Amino acid sequence: MDNNSYKEIKILLVEDEKTLAVGLEFNLVEEGYLVEWAKDGREAVSLFESDNFDMIILDIMLPYIDGFEIAKIVRKANPQMPILMLTARTSKGDMVKGLELGADDYITKPFHLKELLLRVKGMLKRKAWYQKATSNEPVYSFGRNKINFENLKCKCGNKELKLTPHEAMVLKYMINNKGKIVSRKELLEKVWHLNPDIETRTVDIFISRLRNYFEEDPSTPIYIKSVRGAGYVFEG
Amino acid sequence: MLGLWIYWYVYNYIVFEKVGDQISPQLTYDITNVVPFVIGLVLLSGLSFTTSLIFRHLSVQLRLAKLYDNFISNVTHELKSPLSSIQLYLETLNERNVSPDKQEEFIDLMTTDVNRLNNLINSILEISALEQKKLAHNYQVQDAELTIKNLLMDSAGQFRLPNDAINISGSAPCEIVTDAKAMKIVLDNLIDNAIKYSVDSVKIDVNLSCNLKRFIIEFSDRGIGIPPGELKKVFNKFHRIQHSKVPNVKGTGLGLYLTKEIIRNHGGKVSVLSEGENKGTKFTIELPVYQASKKHFINKLLKRK
Repeated sequence: MDNNSYKEIKILLVEDEKTLAVGLEFNLVEEGYLVEWAKDGREAVSLFESDNFDMIILDIMLPYIDGFEIAKIVRKANPQMPILMLTARTSKGDMVKGLELGADDYITKPFHLKELLLRVKGMLKRKAWYQKATSNEPVYSFGRNKINFENLKCKCGNKELKLTPHEAMVLKYMINNKGKIVSRKELLEKVWHLNPDIETRTVDIFISRLRNYFEEDPSTPIYIKSVRGAGYVFEG
Repeated sequence: MLGLWIYWYVYNYIVFEKVGDQISPQLTYDITNVVPFVIGLVLLSGLSFTTSLIFRHLSVQLRLAKLYDNFISNVTHELKSPLSSIQLYLETLNERNVSPDKQEEFIDLMTTDVNRLNNLINSILEISALEQKKLAHNYQVQDAELTIKNLLMDSAGQFRLPNDAINISGSAPCEIVTDAKAMKIVLDNLIDNAIKYSVDSVKIDVNLSCNLKRFIIEFSDRGIGIPPGELKKVFNKFHRIQHSKVPNVKGTGLGLYLTKEIIRNHGGKVSVLSEGENKGTKFTIELPVYQASKKHFINKLLKRK
């Protein structure tokens, strides 16, 4: 981004607690972002549909339409939109549900201002990295597989499927580091921006999902191989 | 089980009558067959009664446990939201240069949140006080109309409602016995609900009246109303209406339970009516008029300190 084509980053803030929303908006604006505030689920959906945003900060407990539903709607329309969930609940079930529905990260209330701003920055950076990484080469093929990193659609032999943004990011990262060993920790840091609550096992789950999609025989992988004690390596 | 027992008994009886003598003549005895029959019947009915009791108790417990989980998750949310906003403002004020205007705004917002936390903590404490019958203890004979009007005005000020939000009509020249502090909790809860469940600006109509025995407060809002199936349940402890059209999801499910219990402690009753969606909700509170109804009960309240 050079100064001539400088585009303000626009964030959709969905939070029904006025007091919290005002404070968040103030801080995000101070950081140089443009902020639109939706105070309930309905407003969030209509704002999302009427404007282009770079990321969404989403509370879960909302009037009319809850955060999980909104995440689903957003994911369907825009597979790459970064979503940061705000939650007061601490149950693991909620977080897992949020992540499964397509949230990229979550932060539990009460949170530290600095941590929130770092997460926002990290997510926007990741999005920019992903866009840059895929813009030169939006379609990548290996073996019988063809992946479009822009709309996340894949052709695997005669199967067709759609990756989730995280699956795409993991795969993209592995492809970019073709032939190099990528550790679980590295993936956590680069793809998930290291969330201490997400265990390294999460990485394994994603890898096994990718193998199921792309390997002819997932139990003896030829593209995404494990390196004992070190991590994974992509050979396409 | 009982049916099975009767079947088994009758069948055995018939078989015994038919072939008993031939199988073992020494088994024939003279006691009337009614005695073991009745004993068996009593034992079995006792057993089935206990079993059904246990099952009923279990299902109530399960339902309560579920409601309680809900309550905990609601309270967690209610506690954490204001807390996180206060933390956010403190960190903002600490780390950024904030203009004096904004500083004032932030302090205002923090005060709102502190009040919210305070109210929530109070309502939880009130429940436990109520359950130990300590909440309403300072009963006094008071002018019905004046007391309720004053309390309503107090609450309106506290909720920062505009002057025309509450419209009081009717007259009630009678005396009631009430604990003003507890009655304030009742009216606060009703007003709070009216605010929470009104889509546009709040409009509350309160009608006061009394007949020979009862002082009646009719409290109507023009909010989203209550679905017919939920009317019976709204006074239950921890109950919250799960409805996608409810514009406010916040709350503990304690407010109306508190209301009902306080009114009951006053010797009165509270009921709710809603014509349906978007047609508002009407709460009716009836309290006994002093020296005209429930004399014994009321005099006992007055003696309680």
